[in-house]
Amino acid sequence: MTLRKTFAATTAAAALVCAGAAGAETMRIGITQNNVGVDSYQTTYEKAFIAAAEANPDVEVVVLDAGGDVARQIAQMEDLIQQEVDAIIIWPTNGEAVIPAVRKASQADIPVIVTNSNIAEAGFDFVASFSGPDNITQGSRSAEIMCDRFKALGIENEARVVQISGQPGYTTAIERAKGFEDRLPEVCPNVTLVETQPGDWNREKSQQVMEAFLVKYDDIDGVYAGDDNMGVGALNAAKAAGRAGDITFVGATNFAVGYEAMAAGEYWGSIYQSPVDDAEAALQTAIDVLNDEDVPFLNYFDTPKITQDNMGEFTKPVF
Amino acid sequence: MAPGTLSGLLQKGAIWGFIVLELIFFSVAGEFLSLSDKAFMDLDNMLLLLKQSAPIGIIAMGMTIVMINGNIDLSVGATFALAAIVLLDSMTWPIFAGLGDGVIPVAMALALLTGIVLGAINGFIVWKTGVDAFIVTLGAMLGYRGLVFMYNGEQPTSHLNWTLVDLAEAQPLGLHVATWALLIVTVLAWLVMTRTVHGRNAYAIGDNREAAVNAGIRVGPHMMLNFMGIGFLAALSAVVFYSESGSVNPNDGELYELWVITAVVLGGTKLTGGAGSVISTLGGVIAIQLLRKGLGHIGADTETVNLVIGLILIAVLFLDRQLNIKGKEALKA
Repeated sequence: MTLRKTFAATTAAAALVCAGAAGAETMRIGITQNNVGVDSYQTTYEKAFIAAAEANPDVEVVVLDAGGDVARQIAQMEDLIQQEVDAIIIWPTNGEAVIPAVRKASQADIPVIVTNSNIAEAGFDFVASFSGPDNITQGSRSAEIMCDRFKALGIENEARVVQISGQPGYTTAIERAKGFEDRLPEVCPNVTLVETQPGDWNREKSQQVMEAFLVKYDDIDGVYAGDDNMGVGALNAAKAAGRAGDITFVGATNFAVGYEAMAAGEYWGSIYQSPVDDAEAALQTAIDVLNDEDVPFLNYFDTPKITQDNMGEFTKPVF
Repeated sequence: MAPGTLSGLLQKGAIWGFIVLELIFFSVAGEFLSLSDKAFMDLDNMLLLLKQSAPIGIIAMGMTIVMINGNIDLSVGATFALAAIVLLDSMTWPIFAGLGDGVIPVAMALALLTGIVLGAINGFIVWKTGVDAFIVTLGAMLGYRGLVFMYNGEQPTSHLNWTLVDLAEAQPLGLHVATWALLIVTVLAWLVMTRTVHGRNAYAIGDNREAAVNAGIRVGPHMMLNFMGIGFLAALSAVVFYSESGSVNPNDGELYELWVITAVVLGGTKLTGGAGSVISTLGGVIAIQLLRKGLGHIGADTETVNLVIGLILIAVLFLDRQLNIKGKEALKA
C-alpha cells in the first residue's frame, strides 16, 4: 500500500512538472481482470500491466480481479463506474454476460476497452476498442502447424487428432477451437478430429483428460491443446503411458514449460503470445482512446507460429 | 437482568457492530488508499452494495431456514445455474415465439418452477430415505451440475433480451430491482420464521428432532417444504441476476453454496440447527459484500479478500463459542 502512495506521490510530482509544459492531466484507468491466480499468463499480465502503468506518469490505475466469477466482475464494473474512472479495461469472464454492464459504462460516457478475449457482437456498440490476440487466427495457425508436421511425417491421410479445449464458456477457448476445427479440414482434409474435451486451462485436468483419451483410443497421432499449460499436461499423460513419441503435440500461448518441452524435442509447436505485449497493448489502447487518437476497433497484436524448427528466433517466455 | 441476556444481546448485535466497524475502517482507509475521489460511504455506493448482495443474499434466506431445521443444502449453486439456463433458453423456444416480450414472465415462471422441483427432489429424498441432507445435497450438487453441462455442453447459454435488461436495471423508489427482491424475501422469511407455526416448528425440529416427532410435527413434509423453499429462492436469485446479464456459463454458481453458508454462519445460525435469525443472516450477507467491495476500494486483491473473510469466519465462530454459555457447559460435560 505504501508503494501505491509513493507511486501516487511521484505521479502527482511528475504531473506538476508536466503541467507547466504540456498541461498533461492524469488519466485514471480501471481494469477488471478475469482470474489472476489461475495461471501464469494472467499473473504475468497483471504484473506487466502494473509495471507499464507505473512507468507512465500520466496514468493511475485501479487494478481489480473478478476471480473468474461473472457476478463479481459485473459488481466491479459498477464500482468503477461509480468511482468515475476515465476509462475501463475489461478482461471478460463471459463474453455475453458482461454486455449490460459494459452498456452501463458506455451510458455513463466511460470508454470501455476489452482486453485479451472479446465480448460478443451484441456488445460491440458499447465498446471503444478491443485489444488482444486474434484467437481464430491462432486456432487456424495451430491447425496449419499440425498439418505441416503430419505432411513432413507422411501421415496426412490417416492421422487422428484429439483436442483439449480451454475453460467452457470462455470466448478464447471457443474461438481457438473454432479456428482449429475450421482450418484443419481445409489444409489436411483426411485428418480426423476424433474427440474434444475441456481441460479448463488446467494442467492436471488436461492430464486426466489425456489419460482417458489414451485408454479410449489406440491410435492418436496429434493432440491440439488450447494452451501450452494443457498441452504439457497431455504430454505428461502420454509420457507416462509410453506413447509420447508417436504423438505430435501442438498448443497455443507458448508457456515456458511448453518452450522447454519443445527444446527437449517432446513437444512440436505452439503460438507465441506474450502477456507482456498483451497488457501493454491494452493500456496503450486505453490511453490512445482517451487522447482521441484513431484506434482500430479490433486492435490485434501479432502472435506468430513457433515450432521446434524456428524456436531459436524467440526468447523463452517468462511465465 | 437474567443470566445470558447480555451475551444474547452481544450475539444478536455482533454482526451489525462488525458492519459498522467495516464501514468506519473502509471510509478512513479509503481516504488514504483509494484512487477514487468519492467517499466509500457515498449513497450510490451503498445502494450498489445492497444490490450486489442480492444473488447470495436471496439464497441465504432459504439456507437460514434449512439450517435452523438442522439440514443443509449444498446444491444451491447448481440449482442457480440450471434455473438460469431455463430462464434464458426458454425465451428462445419456438412454442413461445408468438408471445413477443410476453415470454418474459413465462420464462421466469419456468425458471422458478425448476428451482421448486429440484428442491422438492432433495427434500423428498431426505424425507423418504432418512439419509443426511449433507450427503443427499452433495449428490444433488454433482448431479444438477451434470444436468447443466448436458444441457448445452461446454458452451454458455445466452439470450440477451434488452427489455428484460432494462426491467432489471430499473430503480423503483431509488432501490435496484435486485435490492427489492432481497428485501422482500428477507421480510417474508422473517415473517415465516417468527410469526407462523411453520417457523416455530422449524426451530423445534432443528433443536430436537425426536421431541418434535413426539410432539406430533410431521417432520418429513416440513423439511421437504423448506427444501422446496430454498430451491425456489436459488431460482429467484438466478432470475434476478441473469435478467441483467443474459448469459450463463456452465460453471456459474460454483462455490455459491459455500458463500451462502458462510454468510448464514456469520449471521450466527448454528450448524447444528435449532437457532438462528433471518435478519442476522442479512447482516452476514452485507458484511461479506462490504468486505469484498471495501478491500477492492482500497486496492487489495481477490486472494486477500478471501483470506480475510476466512479468518473473520473463524474468529466469529470462536467468539460465538465464548459468548455461548450453553455451549461451554456442553464442552465441560
